[in-house]
Amino acid sequence: MATLTIGCFPGLVGNMTYDFALKLAEAAVNKGHKVNIWFSGNAVGSVKAHQKHLKDYSTGEKHLKALIEKGVEICTCEACTVARGIQKPEGIEKVQWNAMHWYLAKIHASDRVLQIGGE
Amino acid sequence: MKLAVFVSDFKLASDTLDRLKADKLGIIFVANGVYHATTKENGKASHLLEKTPNLYAMSEDIQTRGMKDADVDKRVRVVNYGDVVDLIFNEYDKTAWL
Repeated sequence: MATLTIGCFPGLVGNMTYDFALKLAEAAVNKGHKVNIWFSGNAVGSVKAHQKHLKDYSTGEKHLKALIEKGVEICTCEACTVARGIQKPEGIEKVQWNAMHWYLAKIHASDRVLQIGGE
Repeated sequence: MKLAVFVSDFKLASDTLDRLKADKLGIIFVANGVYHATTKENGKASHLLEKTPNLYAMSEDIQTRGMKDADVDKRVRVVNYGDVVDLIFNEYDKTAWL
């Protein structure tokens, strides 16, 4: 088993790269690897609970919960999240809230890192 | 360094990719980047296909865009998410996303 950390910086709902990050995480964890996901920038919107899942419209909540159940660690940038008006009690249960040092520590301890998006 | 570069765009990735150097370079076409593997402009295939013999394209992203795996240039290996995980861990040391 090896560890993959994915930094996900793009927007959330309907974003192709966001979908890619979650699908890659699922494939890696299904192969027995440890996976960490760091949300930053507009990707932090995906940690808000009670998302409406529309047909043919990708959203993150169900997927995130399934990944967490498989042992994937998911953390959102707290500053990015509260800056967008989302408070911790509104978030999906078991998603971690922390600062950039969480991401840096995971990068340091990982075998591979993939950072997607960002400006 | 063995570097795998994810190319997710059809028009904007080339300049950056031209500046990347690696002992072994792999290009993984994902999202709109898969058009590099399937589409010819003025009868010519994408010049990115000349950059390295290690070329891959995501099957799901090809099919999402109404194309078939058979439409992919013969130099490109069609892969799924599981294959990409194996590439990341077994074939390359570093990854980049364009």
